[in-house]
Amino acid sequence: MDKMIYSILAVKNNPEKLKTLLSGMKGIAGTDLYEVYFDQIYAVVSDINKTDLINDKSNAIQYAGVIEILAQQFTLLPMRFGSLMESTDLITKMLERNHHEFHQNLQKVENKYEFGLKVFCDSEKLKAELRARSEADNKTPAKAISEIKNSMYKNYMIKKLKEHRLEELLLTYVDSVIADITGYLTRLNAVNKFKKMATETTIIDAVFLLDKERKDALIHTFGDLQNQYTRLKFVLTGPWPPYNFVEITIK
Amino acid sequence: MHDNIIDRSKDITILELLDRVLNKGVILTGDIVISVADIDLVYVGVKLMLSSVETMEQLKSGKSLVEK
Repeated sequence: MDKMIYSILAVKNNPEKLKTLLSGMKGIAGTDLYEVYFDQIYAVVSDINKTDLINDKSNAIQYAGVIEILAQQFTLLPMRFGSLMESTDLITKMLERNHHEFHQNLQKVENKYEFGLKVFCDSEKLKAELRARSEADNKTPAKAISEIKNSMYKNYMIKKLKEHRLEELLLTYVDSVIADITGYLTRLNAVNKFKKMATETTIIDAVFLLDKERKDALIHTFGDLQNQYTRLKFVLTGPWPPYNFVEITIK
Repeated sequence: MHDNIIDRSKDITILELLDRVLNKGVILTGDIVISVADIDLVYVGVKLMLSSVETMEQLKSGKSLVEK
């Protein structure tokens, strides 16, 4: 039987609390959960036959559900779905080998929540607005274009320059929104990670890690930002266990 | 007053949850085989994160992922 690992926990005092919690929970495929530990670092585990493991949405959701419940009571590092090891001995050795990294990562996320933010736009409308602004500024075409005699080539170059200019304006606009967000987050002492232009309509995809007691302030902040940026849609999700702030690959 | 900024729609929450549990978190090295079948991702009128789509397509093709 293989062992499915759900998360790595810091259990400083009262390990009975974890045992009691696990006794009332089930893992994927209705399996019992139990702990394997080294020093004060615990792995939450269930037995699973690889052949019985159906990797579908419901199992992945159930797996994440176990992590969510544990995260309400303990500081933890969530594992990626499908993390299997062959025996509890190997798990114990793994915990021992990686003890220092686990400890460091657990300290980093202790008493913190992760939140996710996606900022969506109507890209055609936004581009049209930026285009109108750009034409009002009259920054294109460049002088060199006016010297090109061939009109088809000239038109092509003008079109390409305008497209390039529009892309630049869009990125500048996104950077200004990010700068605004970052300004607010600095006051909340949040760690943040941003991805720009993940898709045509998702101009910002970000995650934040911050102290639990600042949760309400974060929600309030993004409420204010939504009111400020009425042509964008801010979608905030959370709180989550710290999936995006675990920087460790286990040896 | 700003509580409506937190998205409580089930579809978006599941999407975000699946993206995290399938793509993020602690990575275990060794002989991990993840083959994911029949995961229906829920579209809520917005596009998915590219990394999730790429991961999904890779996994659906039945490739095994051996993490370094």
